[in-house]
Amino acid sequence: MLSVERLCVAYGGLRALIDVSVEVGAGQFAAIVGPNGAGKTTLFKSISGIVAPVSGAIRFDGQDLLAIAPAARAQLGIAHVPEGRQVFKALSVLENLEMGAHPLRARALWARNLEQIFALFPVLAQRRSQLAGTLSGGEQQMLAIGRGLASAPRLLMLDEPSMGLAPTIVDQIFERIRGIHREAGIAVLLVEQRVAEALESCDRGYVLESGRVVLEGTHDTLIRDERVKRAYLGM
Amino acid sequence: MDALILTENVLQALAAGILVGSVYGLMCVGLGLIYGVMRVINFAQGDFLMLGMYAALYLFTGLGLGAALGPYLGPAVATVLGAAILYVLGVVLHQTLLRRVTGIRVAGTESEGHYPQLILTLGISLILANAGLIVFGSMPQSIRTPLSASAWEIGPLVGQNLSVFLNKARSIAFLVSVVVALALFLFIARTRLGKTLRAAADNPEAATYMGIDVDAAYRVAFAIGVALTAIAGGMVATYYPFQPYVGLEFVIIMYAGVVLGGFGSIGGAFWGGLTIGLVQQLSTLVLPVQLQNAAIFVVFLVIVLVRPEGLFGRSAERI
Ligand SMILES: Nc1ncnc2c1ncn2[C@@H]1O[C@H](COP(=O)(O)OP(=O)(O)OP(=O)(O)O)[C@@H](O)[C@H]1O
Ligand SMILES: [Mg+2]
Repeated sequence: MLSVERLCVAYGGLRALIDVSVEVGAGQFAAIVGPNGAGKTTLFKSISGIVAPVSGAIRFDGQDLLAIAPAARAQLGIAHVPEGRQVFKALSVLENLEMGAHPLRARALWARNLEQIFALFPVLAQRRSQLAGTLSGGEQQMLAIGRGLASAPRLLMLDEPSMGLAPTIVDQIFERIRGIHREAGIAVLLVEQRVAEALESCDRGYVLESGRVVLEGTHDTLIRDERVKRAYLGM
Repeated sequence: MDALILTENVLQALAAGILVGSVYGLMCVGLGLIYGVMRVINFAQGDFLMLGMYAALYLFTGLGLGAALGPYLGPAVATVLGAAILYVLGVVLHQTLLRRVTGIRVAGTESEGHYPQLILTLGISLILANAGLIVFGSMPQSIRTPLSASAWEIGPLVGQNLSVFLNKARSIAFLVSVVVALALFLFIARTRLGKTLRAAADNPEAATYMGIDVDAAYRVAFAIGVALTAIAGGMVATYYPFQPYVGLEFVIIMYAGVVLGGFGSIGGAFWGGLTIGLVQQLSTLVLPVQLQNAAIFVVFLVIVLVRPEGLFGRSAERI
């Protein structure tokens, strides 16, 4: 469904991504792990069109994504839950979700999706008229995910949903993400620094370091890999 | 007897302050919308007001709206038509010039693009004012109807001696301004497009992820902001003589109002403008007319010193 082919991105002279290739099949769960500054967020921003690559290709359902305007990409069914949540602080919870349902396709499904989002994160229903900027960090993360789901996506991209959250909340959020993947059949592309949790859920994983994919493989190969064990799983 | 005259004068100044202040409020809302959504300090706003005045004037006289619709409706219709023209001008200016120095492409750059924006809007301001001088000439003009020289009498209020007079042209301007400002608030608060503008203002990057075309949203906000100020201009033109440099006078009032209201808050901008109108009119009780604008600045400085977040601003709120 999504295929990133030999992508190179540079900020000025600094090369942030070098020949990065990533595949996510329909309904698949893919995880990208790697240390700070590896280029994970940069990869997401390139897929969403906020950063323009130097070379390489990004395809979604065979279409050339780079030829499509950034704001038009959500219409294709790609939802990006950005690093640091980035909810619309001065809008209410409900208005944030409404903005998620910006693609026309999603507006038709609004009532049904809203019900599902509230079932997934009941706290959002309780706080529907509260300004998003006044939510706690965990609630904001739930809202950011809910806002992504409101767009009725086929691919949900999550950039470090665990960032800055307490372990119990993180567990809750990972469980919901797995639920979304299993029950709604939405493909998930997850970026995480919590390597164990991320690799545990994924069908396929990538290890990104200094802008390069240094290791990739299925769930089983990765969790058995000696380097992964040593560097990331603390074994 | 003296007390009665004083009361009458104060009431009269209060009433006049509310009438002209509401028109200032509307022009401030136009400026505040542009700042609140795009974070652009627009120096050309006074010149859009001036163009709104001339557009209303030429539509009023050229289309014979005065004869067709009468003195009450004629100027208002001319003003709204003029504002539609200014809306289109806003779209064109954004598309050709402002787009290049605003939006995602400047977010996160040094100064968030403020320096190029300042220079660009200052340049637009100078060009519009001077083009206005060439095209319209320097003779002061106004939208002349009998209303500017007549008034409704409220009263007599106490006994037979106390009445407040509401200038008719100013009263119509007040009504139009309040209705338009209310319509804008409803639009921003309730409609999907209004929410989209707020989302694009709040976080342009996340808005793009949602599929919101941030440039298009900014274009709409800019053009609406220009049109609102043009409506205020057309209304001022019915009771105040103007020439192509009139923008400078009003841009000062607009900035004072928007800062008082808490920069970036649209509701605050209206109340800020209203406050300026009240200060201006009440100052005539104790100061010569020439010092009206000085009074505005003294009050402005005092308020900004005491409440830097603005009279009506809440620091957490944007628009
Ligand atoms: N706007 C930018 N301008 C210049 N350099 C940037 C910019 N954004 C990112 N970089 C650089 O690109 C590299 C990759 O950054 P990126 O944010 O993609 O890393 P990341 O893997 O998401 O890290 P983290 O886990 O800390 O979020 C870093 O060296 C970073 O300093
Ligand atoms: Mg990152």
